[in-house]
This record gives sequence, structure tokens and C-alpha cells, in this order.
Amino acid sequence: MSPSPSAPAWETRMELPEEVDLQLEVANVGSRSLAILADLTLCGLIFFVVYGLTFLITRDAAADWLLRLGSNAMEIGMALVIFGFQWVYFGLFEWIWNGQTPGKRMLHLRVIKVDGAPVSWTDVLLRNVSRPIDTFGPMGLLGLLMIFVSCKGQRLGDMMAQTLVIHETPIDWSIFDQFEPAESGPISGKAPVALPAIRLSAAQWELLHQYLNRREQLPAEVRARLAASLYEKLKPLARGTALELSPLVPEAWLAELARRT
Amino acid sequence: MTPGLFVRKNRPRWQRLETMLGTMESRGLRKTERSFLQELIALYRATAGDLAFAQTHYRGTTLLLFLHQLVARAHNQIYRPHRLSLSAALGYFRSQIPQAIRAHLQAVIWSAIVFLLGTALGLSAVQFDERAATVILPASVLNSVYSGHMWTGNIFSIVPAPVASTFIFTSNISIALLAFAGGLSFGLVTVWILFQNGFMLGVIFKLCADYGLLGALFEFVAGHGLLEISAIVISGGAGFVVANALLNPGPYLRRDALAQQGRSAVLMAVGCVPALVTAGCIEAFISPSHAPVGIKVALGLTLGLVFWLYLLATGRRE
Repeated sequence: MSPSPSAPAWETRMELPEEVDLQLEVANVGSRSLAILADLTLCGLIFFVVYGLTFLITRDAAADWLLRLGSNAMEIGMALVIFGFQWVYFGLFEWIWNGQTPGKRMLHLRVIKVDGAPVSWTDVLLRNVSRPIDTFGPMGLLGLLMIFVSCKGQRLGDMMAQTLVIHETPIDWSIFDQFEPAESGPISGKAPVALPAIRLSAAQWELLHQYLNRREQLPAEVRARLAASLYEKLKPLARGTALELSPLVPEAWLAELARRT
Repeated sequence: MTPGLFVRKNRPRWQRLETMLGTMESRGLRKTERSFLQELIALYRATAGDLAFAQTHYRGTTLLLFLHQLVARAHNQIYRPHRLSLSAALGYFRSQIPQAIRAHLQAVIWSAIVFLLGTALGLSAVQFDERAATVILPASVLNSVYSGHMWTGNIFSIVPAPVASTFIFTSNISIALLAFAGGLSFGLVTVWILFQNGFMLGVIFKLCADYGLLGALFEFVAGHGLLEISAIVISGGAGFVVANALLNPGPYLRRDALAQQGRSAVLMAVGCVPALVTAGCIEAFISPSHAPVGIKVALGLTLGLVFWLYLLATGRRE
């Protein structure tokens, strides 16, 4: 497993038993801080809801025993809620949601083991019990510094639990499907390309698709300009095919090209 | 193969794998049938192959990024650790936790020494100057002792026992977990917590002795004290195990030593949690009650003895 020189520092590599290297994007300081912030906001909201509910119950309580019950319940509830945020919330969610808390889910982050496996209850416990030393309050500076400096973005708790936090880009296959020829869907059993294929490099292919996906959102003038410039770049590749002499305007020509790649 | 053709040919398989993973993630392993798993694994292998192909031919594309994530997700579901079942959890308490504590008995002894040093210093501080007590005890406790009453009578007549027990055990578990996590600060936080709690104990005992409350204090502490202090000392020991891995990693890298020792140290801390919940309930329900002193002493001694017997004798056969 030799990291290629082109691998950026924010990626982590792991070798699978299937003999492929998996490259995953390590979450950066910013998104991890935002996730914590989101979790704390949620905790704060729950706190105020519990507080408000018990307050309302005890305020309108006519009977004395209900008042006492309400205030007792409120005190127990508060103690448990505070304790829960400090020691249980993060660990419990990461355990049952496979490495995600509500905040992490919102920002597409996930905790995994350094070898790519899902986290177990001891991992989750180890990385979250250490939060008073490297996340909460002023100690958060230490955690930020460690995420920033360590090569896999690990704070102390991550090192102890051998975990890391990755960023998952949501998979959206539909970006590849908008220019399928209407008559043959992607799943149909026909020969996929009846037309002679035109060879684009992966980068050119990606560029073409990015343009075709984004064109609806572009102002008309930019849209036409980009189409013309792409047309100039990609036209030589169509040499010797029916597309070379095609009278289509650049944009339609590009869509036609996408169908034949 | 052109990227377009590659996507068109294999996309049904990727999407099938994706939906199967979604089902599996929401349903859990136990409820999935054999044929489902076989298909999942076949799809996973094929997609891993696609990933290898894409890595060679389509570097730097979104397609490659998606395949990486899809394979990671599948790998995550296939190579998963055992889920924690009730029997596995009981197994931890039956063997792994006592074993971890026995393996690190030296750290627990050091933790006890730091705690007792704190106690000794607390005793001698009040002996030397009574005002030392104001450093660590709240004014309400001090005033009640000065007037010759136990503060517990006031507190427990106002706060009902269920509330008090919740406060007591949540704060004690917090102290225990913090003493463990404090190991990451090279043990500084652990030492501070142990010392502070020991110091407080020393101060209270000396102060009560000076105001003729020693008997009352002893009666209050007898039921839960041994269990509570044992648990705090053990979790302090867990913190020292972590600190020792950082300070003295031996032949390992510091981070490897930390990962290895942390895993058994956290079990020590987990073992303290039930003891602290028990102690918290006794402290709130029984200790302030008018039960005879003999019963409180017997209860405290029995629980302390059972706890240590459990730690020192259970799970030896492996």
C-alpha cells in the first residue's frame, strides 16, 4: 500500500481483502465543528422542551401532590438530560446509527474504524468518554488543533478508539442518466450503444456531463458560450463519424456526443 | 471501455447493491435471509472489481468517488463486528471487566495512594487551620456543622430520595468517567480528581470530629462509603492505565499503546457504573433514614466485600 504522490492529504487509504485500495475523504475541522454545533443545538432544544413542559405542568397544577410530583420529575429529568448530553448522547447515537449522530448525519459525516470497519460499542465509548478532555468547553481548542494537525484528522479520543471521521458525498447516479437515448433505457437488455462509440478520456467525459447537467441553471449567454467552447475542444474527437459533419448547433451536438460515448 | 459504456453496463448492479444496503442498514443482520446475503456479497465483489477498473481508467472522476463510497458502505456492512447482545454484555461483566481490573491492580493501588494522600492532607489541613475547610466545602454544610448538626438532615428532608439518588449517582458517574478520561491529560486530571475527593473526605471527617459529629457522620457514610470510594479509586486506576500508556509506551508507538491500553481501561470504568448507581441509591434512600446503625454498617461492609470479591475472583478460569 504505497500512497501515490497525487493522493491529497485529506484522503485516507485502506486496503480491502478484495485487493482494492479504498480512498475515503477524511472530514475536515470545519464540518466536524459544525456537526458538534448542530448536536449541541439539538441538545439545547431538548433541554428547553423538557424544562418548559415540566414548568407548565407544575404552574397549572391545582393539587399539591401534582405540584410536588411535577417538580420532582423536573429535577430528575434535568439531572438525567444534562448527564445524558455529557456522557450518553454522542455514544448512544454513534452506536445505534452506525457512527452517526444527528449532527453528523446532517453534514454527511460518519465515524469508522481506521481499517474501514464499522464502530463497535467499545470504540464509541472510548471516543466519546474522552470528550471532556478534547471537545467540551475550552478543551475543544485541543481537539481542533489535533484534528487539524494529525494526518487522519484524529483527536485524542479517536486515537484511543482507533477511529476516524469521514465525509460521505451523497451518491446520485442520476447525474449520469439525463442523456440516455430515449429509445433504450439504461436497464434494457439491448446492445447499449448501437451507434459507433466515440472515445473520450474520462476527464473529457466528465466535463461533458457536467456541462449537460448544469446547462439548465446557466444564463442563456453563458450557456451558449460554454457550449461553443466545448464544441471546439471536442469536435476533433468525432472525426470520421457521422457526427463530424452533423449540422446540429453546438449544444445539441454535445448532447448527441454524450449519447455516443 | 468508454466511461459512458461502463456506467450504462454496470449501473443496474450498483443501484441494486445500493438498495440492498439500504434495506440491510434499516433491517439489521439478523432479519436478512441467506439468499439476500449471498446476492449482496456477490454484488459487493463485482462492485469492488468495478472500483479497481475505475481506479485504473477513470482517475479523478465523480464516478470513481461514488464507487469508492458504495464499496465502503458495503464493506462496512459485510465486515462488521459482533453486535452487542445481552449475553455478550453479561459476558463482559462475568469475565472481561474483573480480568481488566486484576490486570491493572497496580494502577488501582496507585490511585488509592493518591486518594489517601488527599485524605491525609485534608485531615492535617483542618488540624492546622480550621478555615481550610472553607476552601472545599459549601457554606451551608459549614454552617450546619458549626451549629452542631449534620447537613444531611437538612438536605434529605427537603430533597426527596428519588431526586437525590439521581443527582448523586449521575454526579458520581461523571466523576468516575472524568477520572478515566483524565488519563489522556497524562494523568493530571485524574490525579486532581482523586486528590480533591480524598481531600474533601479528610476535611469533613476532621471537621465533624472537632464538632462532635463523628458518630453521626460515620453512621451516614457506613452504608455506601466503601462501595463509592472503591469505584472512584478503580476508575482513577483506569485513568492511570491510560496515562501510563502515554508516558511509558514501552516497545510500542504512543498511539498504539494508547489504543491497546485504553480498550482494557475503559472496561474498568464501565465496571464501576453499576456500583456507583447502587451506592447512589443507598446514599439517598438508606443512609439518611433512621435504620439502625448496625444494619447500615452490615450493608456497607457486605456490599464492599462482595464488590471486591467479584472483582478479584470472577472470570479466573480462562
